Amino acid sequence: MDSRTPQIIPNVTFERERGVHAIQVTHDVAHAVMAIDSEAYPTHAAGVQFLLRALNDAQIPLFLIKLHRTAITAGLAGVYLPKLEEAMAREGIRVKTRRDLSLIIVKAALMRETSGVMVQISDALVAAKANLFQTGDSHNSVQCLIEADRTDAALNELCKTFHLEASAVIESPLTEERAR
Amino acid sequence: MSLLSPRILVQKFGGTSVDRPENRALAARKVIKAKNAGFSPVVVVSAIGRNGAPYATDTLIKVLRDVDPQVPPAPHEMDMIMACGEIISSVVFAHTLQTMGYKAIALSGGQAGIITNPEFGNARILEIRPNALHKLIEAGYIPVVCGFQGMTEPDEILEPGSITTLGRGGSDTTASALGVALKAVAVEIYTDVDGVKTADPSLVENARTLDICTYEEVAEMAHQGAKVVHPRAAEIAMDHNIPLWVKSTFSDLPGTRIANSEESTSTGGDYGESMRYRTTGIAHTGKVVFIRLETGEVTHKSEIERQVYRMMAEAGVNIYFVTFSPTSISFAVPRSLYPIARDLLDGMIVPVRNENQVGAKRATYYIFKYEGGLDLAYRVQRPLLMSVEPDVEIVDVPATAIENCTVVSVIASNHRRIPGVLMTIHETLTKAGITVYQTADSEMSVSCLISESDVKRAVQLLHERLLEQ
Repeated sequence: MDSRTPQIIPNVTFERERGVHAIQVTHDVAHAVMAIDSEAYPTHAAGVQFLLRALNDAQIPLFLIKLHRTAITAGLAGVYLPKLEEAMAREGIRVKTRRDLSLIIVKAALMRETSGVMVQISDALVAAKANLFQTGDSHNSVQCLIEADRTDAALNELCKTFHLEASAVIESPLTEERAR
Repeated sequence: MSLLSPRILVQKFGGTSVDRPENRALAARKVIKAKNAGFSPVVVVSAIGRNGAPYATDTLIKVLRDVDPQVPPAPHEMDMIMACGEIISSVVFAHTLQTMGYKAIALSGGQAGIITNPEFGNARILEIRPNALHKLIEAGYIPVVCGFQGMTEPDEILEPGSITTLGRGGSDTTASALGVALKAVAVEIYTDVDGVKTADPSLVENARTLDICTYEEVAEMAHQGAKVVHPRAAEIAMDHNIPLWVKSTFSDLPGTRIANSEESTSTGGDYGESMRYRTTGIAHTGKVVFIRLETGEVTHKSEIERQVYRMMAEAGVNIYFVTFSPTSISFAVPRSLYPIARDLLDGMIVPVRNENQVGAKRATYYIFKYEGGLDLAYRVQRPLLMSVEPDVEIVDVPATAIENCTVVSVIASNHRRIPGVLMTIHETLTKAGITVYQTADSEMSVSCLISESDVKRAVQLLHERLLEQ
C-alpha cells in the first residue's frame, strides 16, 4: 500500500456509559462500634484521637470510618477483628462488633452530581431484606456494609435496579494477603 | 500501520493559554516545536479567556440569557452559542500558525468527526470518525480542533445533525478522545501550571510538581478539587492506555506524565513499589452544609432515612457524606441547594403505621424541627397535625445544620490497606484546633468535612505532614 494513501481507520467507540456501571463486592468484612467515654477526655476530638491511635498501634487498617457523638464506627477486614477486640480490651474501650458482613460498592460516574442513586440503592437493599450497617460515598461510588447472608439477594436487586448484567459484579479482596 | 505512518501528538491548550496574542504565540511555538521534532500535531483549543472575557463561554451564554431573563434558552440554541467560543478560538489559533508559516486549518468538533449523543449541554462522545483528520494530516496540515463540542448524527430534519457541547471538562475530553481515535503517541494538556501539583500552589508554597502519577490518582485529584485534567479525559486515556502529559504553556519544564499503575510502579527510581502506597496530594473542594437529624433510637429509623433520601432525590438535591448512627442521620448537601433541602426538611412529616404493636397508637408521625428559628413550617404544621390526627403519636426530629463547610481530601492509593492514615490526618487537624465534622473514605482518598475558614491551614498542615516530612 502506498504510504501516501489515506488509510481507512475504523471508527472508535470509547467514552464510558454514565450512571452506575459496576458493583464491587468484598466478603469477610466486619463492623465495629467503639465507644468514646466523653467524661474521660477533655474534648470529643481528644477521645477520637485516643481511639484512632489505639487502632493504629494495633496496626488495624480501617475503612468507612465515621465520627459520632459517643462513638467511632468503622469497617475492617474480618481477619483483623480479634486484633481489634484485643486492642480495645487493652485500652478499656467498650466495643460492639458485628462479623459476617459484606462490603458492596456501587460504582458510577459523577455520583455526586447525580441525585437519587442513594434512594435507589436503599430501596434495592430493602427489597433484598438486607440491613445496612454503614454507608459511605465518594465521587464515583456508594459503599454499603450489609449482612453476608443477604449479599446475593442484594446483588440481584442492585443489578435489577441499575439494569446491570451479572458480569458487572466484581469480587475484590480487602487485605493485601488476599490480593496476592 | 505503515512504518511511515505519522506520529500524531495531540496538544490541548486551555483558556489561559489562548487568551492573549503573546500567549497564543507561546502555545503555537509548542506546536511548531512538536512539528519540527517529527510529530504530526493535532491541536485542541478551549474558548479564549474566562469569566467575562469577550469570547469566553459564560459571556456568550449571557448574550443569549439577556434576550429575556425570564425565558430560559432552548438547549439546542444554548449549545450552538456555547460552541462559538471554541470556534472563534480555533480560527484565531489556526491563523496564528498560518502567520508563522505553517499550514493549519480550523475544524469544528463535527468536522473533526466527533459524534455525540443528543444530550445538549452534557453530551457523551459516541464515536469519532477520524478519516478527515487523517487526510488533513497526510496533506501536511495542522488541524486545530474546537474542544468541548461534537455533533449528533443527522436526523429527519437536520443534515448534518446538531452541534452539541460536552459539558464540564469538555476540551480535555476532546483531546483524550482524539488521542485514542488517532492512535496518538501521546496527549499533552497545556495549562498555566507546570504539571500536576501536590496541592493548590496558591495555598501551599511548597507544593511540588509530580513527575509521574497514575490515571486513577489524577482522576481522584480532579474529582476532589484539583484543577488539572478532567476525570473524563483521564478515564478515556486510562481505558485506552494513551500516555497523557500535563505541561505548562509558559515554561519548558517536562510536566507530569500520567500513566497506568503497572507502568508507574515499574518505573523504578523514586517511584516503583512506593507509588502503590503513596500520598499523592491534598485537594479541597466544595461549599457544603452538613445536616444532622436527631432521630433518637426509634424503631422506624430506616423508614425515616428512606423518606429523607427520597425527598432529596425528587427535589434534585445531591447528598453525600451520608452517615448512619444509632441515633441520628447525617449528610452534606451543596450549599447552593441548601435552601431547597432546608425547606424540604422544615416541617417534613414521615408517617409510619404501627402494625401489630400492642398498646401502640395507630401510627407514628415523625416531624422535622429545625433548630435556630428556621422552623416556620414546623410551627404551623405541628398544631394542625395534632388537631386532625389525635390518634397518632407525634415525634419531633430535631434538625441542625453546620453551614460554611468544605471538604479537604488526602489522595492516597491503597490507604485502606495501611493502618493509621485517618489517625495522622485527624491528629494533624485537631492539634491545630480544626474541627473535623465528619470523614468519608473511598479506595483512593480520605476526606474530612471542615469549616471553610480553616481550609487554607488544613491544606498547608496536611501537606507539610504527609508530603514534606
